[in-house]
Amino acid sequence: MSEQIDDAALVERFPYAQIDHDTKHLYRGWLEKRLLINRCDECLRFHHPPKPVCPSCWSSSLTPTQVSGRGVVHLAMHLHQGAPAPDVDYSKSPHPVVAVELEEQEALRFSTTVIDCPLEDVKIGLAVELDWIDRFGAPFPVFRPRRDA
Amino acid sequence: MISRNPIRDEIAIIGVGSTGFSRDAGERSSKSLACEASIAAIQDAGLEKGDIDGIVGPMEPGGAIPHQMASALGISEVTHQSSPMPVALFGLIDAMDAIFSGACDTVLLYYSYQRLPWNSRSAAKDPFRRHFQMGVIPVPEAPDPAAAYTQWASRYIHDYGATREDFGRVALNMRANALRNPLAVMKTPLTMEGYLQARMIRDPLCMLDMDVPVDGADAFVLTTTERAREITRNPVVIHATSLGVVDKNDEDQLPDLSRHGQHVVVDALRAKSDLWIEDCDVFFPYDGFSIITLGWIENFGWCKPGEAGRFMAEHWDEKAGSVLIDGRVPMNPHGGSLSEGATRGSGHLREAVTQLRGDAGKRQVANARTAIIGCGGFFFNSQGAILRRL
Repeated sequence: MSEQIDDAALVERFPYAQIDHDTKHLYRGWLEKRLLINRCDECLRFHHPPKPVCPSCWSSSLTPTQVSGRGVVHLAMHLHQGAPAPDVDYSKSPHPVVAVELEEQEALRFSTTVIDCPLEDVKIGLAVELDWIDRFGAPFPVFRPRRDA
Repeated sequence: MISRNPIRDEIAIIGVGSTGFSRDAGERSSKSLACEASIAAIQDAGLEKGDIDGIVGPMEPGGAIPHQMASALGISEVTHQSSPMPVALFGLIDAMDAIFSGACDTVLLYYSYQRLPWNSRSAAKDPFRRHFQMGVIPVPEAPDPAAAYTQWASRYIHDYGATREDFGRVALNMRANALRNPLAVMKTPLTMEGYLQARMIRDPLCMLDMDVPVDGADAFVLTTTERAREITRNPVVIHATSLGVVDKNDEDQLPDLSRHGQHVVVDALRAKSDLWIEDCDVFFPYDGFSIITLGWIENFGWCKPGEAGRFMAEHWDEKAGSVLIDGRVPMNPHGGSLSEGATRGSGHLREAVTQLRGDAGKRQVANARTAIIGCGGFFFNSQGAILRRL
């Protein structure tokens, strides 16, 4: 693992995120292009977004754990307008946003966009895998259709 | 599920006031709108400002907070004040609990709205609204409540084979009703063709699936039913209320549409109330987004999950251009948030009181005695109330 930047620098890298002591590990993971999901050391359940204790068993022994990045689109919409981002041009095409159910656990989901996929194929049931783009000079997790699917 | 309900019928709503709703109320502050509605509500109750000893007003960007309202209206001594979260029944429930507990006797409950700079171009040009800040500017993919309703609409369509027309009927119902309500912002008829051609915002939901930002205010006066009987012959009383939330309420983590805040609300109301949907004369399913309305129709048990579109079609009154359940019970006869204006439910509450008092003019439901309100959405602000005329 590379040397970690301090909290002030972390906030600078992700101006669009409300980072706190519960979520800082998630964003530090992004800088290394690793998607880290909180997992309880006691009951082994994952949860997301990150909480200060395990919501299942109340253990505070949690490990941000790298997940495979494989999953299936569970919710999907196509934004015709929305918040700005340098890689998004609503005038050219609607921007897909999905909640992907991760293969590690039922109903464990991560929300982002899908790249390299025709818009009409970004729908519920699409098998996807994790990839990374650059957003405001920092890595940003996205999904793409699974190449082995 | 809790069934204890000692407050049943003990608190009454004895005054209502409203500015009505518009795309632009002109050069007025949110506080100005709140004062107009509040004065109207206190006068409607037949009271004077010295009778008010509690003030409740939900937090809104740019909105007046309760002690500022005491100052603006010259309400001399107040023993209870609070600013609950937005969505109307948080305020109602706090106000009634305060009266029942003895924190105060008579509450002014006000709701004031201004179009926000980030969802109205004309509001963005108003220099006095520049200080309404959102905090960090989110990315397009941020799971926020507004977008999440669209995401779950996609799941509803996927799971039940719902069509755009199923959502469109919600919009058409509200519009036809709004045309009978002089307070409503929307003044022009809507057809299904018009709905299907409306600008897509977040596919699968279009502009007409989302509430319409407005300027305006509603206000209410509440007191004990005992005191209300001395003031008015037909007090409207609060029979049962509940809030509802489940654990996995982060917008994208809700396990599915079969158990969320609305279900908790309905189960609690049912356990607390002597009255249920077969007693309902006028039904208020919240419509901040059309998918929320479909949820309330199904979750109150009017029909099975996935059948709300068909239910509305089966109970459609061609002459009225809107839903009349069993030819009798309208849904949001004031036009709801989609067409009266985005009141976060205060319009639904105001219309419930107006109908139960028999003051709804040409949209009056004959002999309306019981109103059921399902307010808020799925994640963190589900709430319900049953109101009745004594």
